[in-house]
Amino acid sequence: MTHELLNGLSPVEAEQVLELGTKLIVASGTSLFRLGDPADRLFLIERGRIRLTLPMQVRGREEDIFVEERSPGQTVGWSALIPPYRFTLTATAPLFEAKVIALPQAALRQYFAANPAAGHKIALNLAVVIGHRLQLFQTMWLREMQRTVEVRSA
Amino acid sequence: MDMLLMGLCLGVCGVVFLALAFGAAMRSESWNSDVQPELPLVKATASARFFSDRVVVPPAVPPLQVPIEVLLLQIENHVRMEQAAAESFLASPTHDLLHSKTTSPFVN
Repeated sequence: MTHELLNGLSPVEAEQVLELGTKLIVASGTSLFRLGDPADRLFLIERGRIRLTLPMQVRGREEDIFVEERSPGQTVGWSALIPPYRFTLTATAPLFEAKVIALPQAALRQYFAANPAAGHKIALNLAVVIGHRLQLFQTMWLREMQRTVEVRSA
Repeated sequence: MDMLLMGLCLGVCGVVFLALAFGAAMRSESWNSDVQPELPLVKATASARFFSDRVVVPPAVPPLQVPIEVLLLQIENHVRMEQAAAESFLASPTHDLLHSKTTSPFVN
């Protein structure tokens, strides 16, 4: 299993990072974290899928609306490294259980301080993950705005 | 004398004929005046058709609501399609791909 967060790291460095984590099983339908929770860990997906949602009012009821789905090798919960260290989405395992590696924020910081070269590579990998999310949702936002403008000016 | 009597008879017949014709004409007018009250009905029908032709008012039927599970599934499909479209744009950023259409029921 190759993890996007560990791209470019030597096998030894990657192993050192993975040893910081704890393997977790997320049962089907249960939450890995919820919107607003303190973000003290980030997660590497080993198996299964993690569904990211945001609450929205639908017919007067609050519903978790699908935002994105992450698959093995991908990272969720990078709010653990970004102030204010609160999760901005809810993450659940949808149909089947998922297996993740939970990397504690404190342990990662210590590792980065002790291994700045590896920390730099991980930071760049994280920038790729965050940057892609930003570009994706920026594009989706613009498409929705375009439709809103077309409807309002029709 | 015969000619005088014949002329007199013809004159009387003419007067009778004119009287009958006048009477028939009068009966026809009075029959028309009997149906006159129905005219407003005819006018009303005509004006109703006029309005029904000009303004098409569909019966007030409440819009059909899909079950919420179906609606949530439609929203999810919409998000997935929009993400796929956004991914296509990011892989090859062009104006056309930025505003490409999807088959999502939310935008069609």
